[in-house]
This record gives sequence, structure tokens and C-alpha cells, in this order.
Amino acid sequence: MKKGPNTVLMTWLLVLLGGLLWNAALFAAPLLRQEAPVVSAMIYAAFSPVCHQIPERSFFFRGFPLAVCGRCLGIYLGFSAGTILYPFLRRFSRPFLPATSIFVLVSLPIGLDTAGNFLGLWASPIGLRLAAGLVWGSVLPFYLITGLYEVLRLFGGNFRLKSPGQTK
Amino acid sequence: MNDHKPNMLAPALIGGAVAGVLSGIPFLNCFCCLWIIGGAVLASYLLAKDSPVSLTSGDGAIVGALAGISAAVVDSLVGIPLHGLNVAVMRRMMERLSEFADEMPSGWENWLDRTGGGVSIAMFFMGLFISAAVFAALGALGGIIGTSLFGKKKAQGAEIAH
Repeated sequence: MKKGPNTVLMTWLLVLLGGLLWNAALFAAPLLRQEAPVVSAMIYAAFSPVCHQIPERSFFFRGFPLAVCGRCLGIYLGFSAGTILYPFLRRFSRPFLPATSIFVLVSLPIGLDTAGNFLGLWASPIGLRLAAGLVWGSVLPFYLITGLYEVLRLFGGNFRLKSPGQTK
Repeated sequence: MNDHKPNMLAPALIGGAVAGVLSGIPFLNCFCCLWIIGGAVLASYLLAKDSPVSLTSGDGAIVGALAGISAAVVDSLVGIPLHGLNVAVMRRMMERLSEFADEMPSGWENWLDRTGGGVSIAMFFMGLFISAAVFAALGALGGIIGTSLFGKKKAQGAEIAH
């Protein structure tokens, strides 16, 4: 196996695992609200600097709101969905950044929705916020995998997966 | 990353300061993580502006992560004078939550009273550590996006060397 694809595979696995853990924490906060309130409060607190956590704009799970609002949930779920799709679209060849036009296109829904709500032009239903976040979030792993791949190559060299029986 | 690229610290501090201030103000924090990503994009833009050569996505990730960490520090510092306001906002949110939630844990009304008098130094640094980790991840993402938008230089620009 060549060095390049191995590093891409390791990068993809890191991003996939990180994204899944991140999303699991969103659901763990309400899930643990009764059984482990301190842990639950810590998870809510961890996400509070990056989300307003307004209950009316959040989805509920087991009677309590998730750790982030509907729009943020869409971004993070979209991120994991994009990460799962990554190997089918790019395989494990050397990663490259998406075209600017694609970024602009997927940013339009969330940009318009956020601006319109902030300016009081309209109040989007939570489902629309989720959808706008999903679209935007799905393209983000294509950026993170490319950037992380470069950083890992720079600081960590190439990761090599050992085949069975290989000593070095 | 190489000798031709400018120092990342100044762009990271500026981008982080902007993101930290904006995300720390209660009314403006409705933009959620977009401030952090936006601040890191700004850091990446500032780095690209001063760089005679094209930036890699790795450059963007590093400057973005640094911007995220500095944003966490600024956000925490901004949060100190606004602590009372934040507690009031949290209290209103908890009251609204109690209307929506099926069953609130006992004694939830007292949670905020315990923190209403201030934040301990240990709690402050623990919160800062967690914020720094979360902000660095989002910042790295923003930095890479910024690189894709502003990082490329034309061929003749790449030949301008110090």
C-alpha cells in the first residue's frame, strides 16, 4: 500500500471518529439528564460557547433539548454524513479542497436563513434550520480532511498500516 | 510552513479576538459556531494577504486552530464582566425549558444561584480548556475554508521572494 492513501485513510478515520463522538455527545446530554445530571450539565456547558441552546429552537430527546440548536445539529449531522460519503466520492487518493463555487452554493441556504432570522425578516421553522445546516455541514469534512491530511504529513510524516507479520 | 510565509501569530490573534468578542456577547451569540469559523476565515485571509506564496490547507488548519484557541481566551475574558447578564439569560432559558421539558431534575432552580456570585478559578480554567478544544476544532475548519477562498496566489506572485 502506498504512503499517501494510508495517511488519507488515517485522516478520514480520525475525522469520522471525532464527528461521531461529537454527535454522540449532543444526544448524551439529554439522555443523561436524569441518570447523571453532572455529566449532562458538563456536556451542555461544553457546547454553550458555540450555540445559544434556546429550547424553542432545539430538538428534544427523552424530554430534554439536545446540547445544540436545530441549525447546529444539522451542521454536525451533515458533517458526519459527508464524512461517511467521502470515500465514495473521493476514494482515498490525495485529498483536495472543493471548488469555491460549491462552497458558495451550499452556504447560500444557511446564510440567507441565518441573516433573515437575525434581521427579523422571517422566523424559520426548526426543520428548515436543520435542513440548511445539513446542506452546509455535508461539505465541511471535505475541507477538514484535506487540511488535517496536510498537517499530519507535515508534523507526523506518513502513517503506515502494518500488514500481518510485518515487523517494521 | 516555509520561509516565505509570514508569521501566523498576528493573523490568528486578530481573527481570534474578533471571533471571541462576537461570540461572547449574549445577543450576538445566536450565530453559534459561525463566529468562530468566520474569525478563523478572517485569520486565514490576513495570513494570505501578507503571504507572497500560496497557502496550503495545512497552513489554514494551523492558523485557524490558533485563532480558535485565542478566541476561547477572549470569549472567556469577555464573559467575566458579562457573567451577571449571562446568568440572567440562562435563568430565563431554564424557566422556558421547564415549560417544555417533561420533568426537570429536583432543585434545578438553585443551580444558577450557586454560580450567581461568580465563577471559581478552577471552573474558569476548566471551561477555558474545554472551550479551547472545541474552538480549535471549529477554527481549523474555518482556517481551511479561508485558505480555499483566499490562499491561492497567481504564478508571478509566487515568485516574489524575500
